[in-house]
Formats: sequence, C-alpha cells, structure tokens
Amino acid sequence: MIRNSSIDSNNCVVFQNVTKYFNGFRALDDVSFSIKTGEIFGYIGPNGAGKTTTMKILVGLITNFEGEVKLSGYRLPEKREESYKLLGYLPQSVAFQDWRTVNQALVTFGKLSGLGNEKIKQRIPEILELIGLADARYKKVSQLSGGMMQKVGLAQALLHEPKLLVLDEPLSGLDPLSRHQFKEIVLKLASNGATILFSSHILSDVQDVADRIGIINRGKIKQVGTINELKTSLSSKKTLQILMTYASDKWQLLGKVRNVTDIEQPSPGRLILDLENGADEDQVVNDVIQKIVKLGIRVRGVTLLEPSLDEIYFNYVSEAEN
Amino acid sequence: MQLGLLFVDELRGFYKSKVMIFLWIGLPVIALLFRYISSISSGQSLPFTLISALVVSSIGGTLASVMLAVFLINEKNRHVYDLFLIRPLKRRDIILAKFFSVYACVAIASLIAVLAGIAVDFASTGALSTTILADAGQSLATSLSMIAVACSAGVIIGIASPSVLVGAILVIYGGNQISVIPLIPTLLNIQNAALFTIGLAGAVAATLLAGAILLFEKKQF
Repeated sequence: MIRNSSIDSNNCVVFQNVTKYFNGFRALDDVSFSIKTGEIFGYIGPNGAGKTTTMKILVGLITNFEGEVKLSGYRLPEKREESYKLLGYLPQSVAFQDWRTVNQALVTFGKLSGLGNEKIKQRIPEILELIGLADARYKKVSQLSGGMMQKVGLAQALLHEPKLLVLDEPLSGLDPLSRHQFKEIVLKLASNGATILFSSHILSDVQDVADRIGIINRGKIKQVGTINELKTSLSSKKTLQILMTYASDKWQLLGKVRNVTDIEQPSPGRLILDLENGADEDQVVNDVIQKIVKLGIRVRGVTLLEPSLDEIYFNYVSEAEN
Repeated sequence: MQLGLLFVDELRGFYKSKVMIFLWIGLPVIALLFRYISSISSGQSLPFTLISALVVSSIGGTLASVMLAVFLINEKNRHVYDLFLIRPLKRRDIILAKFFSVYACVAIASLIAVLAGIAVDFASTGALSTTILADAGQSLATSLSMIAVACSAGVIIGIASPSVLVGAILVIYGGNQISVIPLIPTLLNIQNAALFTIGLAGAVAATLLAGAILLFEKKQF
C-alpha cells in the first residue's frame, strides 16, 4: 500500500493509528495517513465510511479517540487552542442561526477567529466577490438556497486565511458553474500555500484538483497516493485498446497472443485486449501489431487504457465489501 | 473576551425574535386585560402594578425557559455550534452568552411590564402608595429570581434533551417546578425573604448552569 505516514516537518496533518468508537461501533479503525504542507488531499469513500469522523477529529469537534493526530506539529486534542488559529472548516451541512444575515454571520466568525474590525471590513467583500455572493451580503441566511448556504460556509472558512482548509463534501448542492468556480478557488488557495483536505462523492472533481487521494471504507484507509500511484497499484487489470482504420472481422483470426487473456470488439473498428498480470505491455503491443498487420488490418492507433479513478474507487470499495 | 462578543451577538438575535416581541408588548397588554377582567368580576380592581408582576413571573419565566431549550436543541441538532467550536473560544461562553442574553431580554420585559403597571396605577388613582411600590419591588425581585432559575433549567434541558418535543415537555413540567424553589423563603415567612429568595435563586441557577456547561464540555459534535 502506498502510504506516507512518516512524521516530518513537511507534514501539515498527521494521523497515526487513529481509532474511534461510537457506542461500540468502530467508525475509524487504525487510520494512518499524512498530508504535506501545501498539498490538496482528496478524501473519498462511501457513506458512513468515516470521512466526516476523520475531519471532525482534525478540527477538534471530536476529542475522544485513540491514536495520535497532529496539526502543524500540535498534538490534538491537547493543543486545540493553537490549532484553531490555523484551520478553516466547512462542515457537510452548514447551518447558521436563522436571524443572521450573511454579513452578520461573517462578522461574528471573523471576530471569533481573531480578526480586527478593519480586517473584517476588508475581507468580507473580498471573499464574497471571490465566491460570487456579493449580492447576498445583507440577505438573511434563512432566505438562501442550499448552494448559496454552502458558499457562505466556504466564505466563513476562508475569511481568516487559514493555513489548513478542511472541507467536508464542499461540492454537494453546487451547480456545475459553482463547482468549477470552487475548484478554481481551491487550486488558487493551494498555489498560495494553503493545505487542503476535502472529501467528495464526485470522483471526477477530486481527480481534477487533488494532488493525492485517500480512499477510506468501513473506517479503514484502503489506499493513499497520487492518481498515478493508485493506477499503478491497481495492477490486476491492464487493458490495451486498438483502433482499426476500417471495421473488420479479420481480428478473429488472431488466435492466441502471448500475455493476452481476452480480446473483444465492443464497437466496430475498436478492439479491447485484456492483459495478464505482470505482462510487459510494450512486448504485447509489439506482438499484437505484428500479427494484426500480417492479417492485413490497418491500425490507426494503440492505447494502453489505465483505470479511471472510478474504477480504482470501486475496486477498493467492492474489495472491502467482499 | 469572547463571552462579551457572543452575548451582544445573541442579544441581537433574541430581541427581535417573535417571542421577545410578545414579551415586550404582550406582557403589559395581558396584565391590562387581567386588571380589566378582575374589575368586572369583583367590582374592584387590583393594583395594576401587582398584576403586572404576577403576569411577568407566571408567563415570562415559562416562555423564556421554553425558548432557551428549543433554541439550544434546534441549534445543537442542526450543528450550528460546529462553526463556533472550531474557533478559539471556551465552550462555556456559548452557554453563558445564551443564558444571559435571554435573561437580560426577559428582565427588561419584566421591568417594562411593572413600570407600565406603576404608570397606569398612577394615572388612574393620581397617587401611588408606598405599600404598593414596596410590594411591586418585592414581586419583581421574586419574579426575576424565578425567571433566572427557569432559564437555567431551560439551558440544561436544552443541552441534555435529544429532541424539541422532549425538551419542551421537560421544561414546561420540570422547569416550572424547579423555578418555584426561590419562593421557599417567602412561604416559610423568613425575615428578609427577598434577600434569601435572590440568594437561593442565584445558587440554584448557578448549579444548573454549571451542570449544563459540564454536559456541553463533554459533548462530542
């Protein structure tokens, strides 16, 4: 398993052997991973996998757990006071007191985060402009839609320019344009040095922004790594795609090809070859091309298909289910 | 000084709430209604000042404690406090700010009702007896003591209760029973009963609030 749980000065977040029980139910089971400073870490897993519990431990909402959690070197929950200044948190379901306006909510959270009046006056319009909510500044939060509420949640998390942003399902309830804007914001923050941990069910969004990804299921970390590392680790299935210039059935005469377990034509002119585990894909490509050319088939292109994040995700999740 | 900030913040939320508007305006109106009804049924009207104090203690305390419990349960269940608890503040400040803001609102509403009573009595009789004023003062002290206990009961029930329904039932039945504790010195005819009432109310309210803070400190969100 690709893991990076070593404690070094580059790590902003460290989880080591963290276990958490809720009334006898093991919500987290020996969870270990780390997030480097300035990294965007995507955290994925099915409902009830333990994503929110992990995040709540990190932000100090859950203080009763086994194992070691460190934020910028501060051990939690003992050093909570220090860690609070460093983090911004967007919970899965954002809620404010109904009587507040967006402005009132941001002023209060800005003050509680230690910002001065002048800084608050400067930051609120900046943040609202950034997230596209400038027109809603003096609206009551009770009048906002779910997506707008999510944006106000993001605004309060960004207000005090935290070093670590913990975002629990930040894209849920957002329309495609807002999701795009959100991803842009996340990338910009990371380029400015912020560390970001975010969970999502929308795997393509995670793939778009995350430097590394952690997959959790049933309270256990199944895999941690970059997209490429995860793809490489999922070596059980390598697939070759061959595009023929013209659709032809001559491929059925290929017969047995070394290190190829199955050949099929899902659509005219497109062949899919499943390779054996550990097969040298360059050698297979060479062998197949030679055979195909001998059959008089013209080849337009050859591609080694890599598993998508969806496939990687389903592989680890279904592995655990089985 | 996060407590001060939270107190002002909560006050801003409460004073405009429908319940508080009812207390600001409704209490004197209900007291007036009582006076009118009592004058029709008995032929002589009780001093409005005393009626006001009576109405304040019986309605104000219940409303304030139910309001506190319901707000706390709702906000707790909706995870409103998550965004507060991830910031550098003491958990107890959230509870104390809530208690003091509601109590301050109800105390002001009580004062308005009693002052309105004094004004009406003065307008209708052209004079105010010192007995009535003294009684009004004592009634106000008793009312505020009972409201303090009721509010603190509302806070602890609000934190401990899992649902609004359970919380409301507990506050209406349990909270009201507890809020009569400050009346014990008066019922026992102790000398300087008002002082003992205030002291007893302070002790009971402080104990209930300490319990509420302890529960809130241990709570995992």
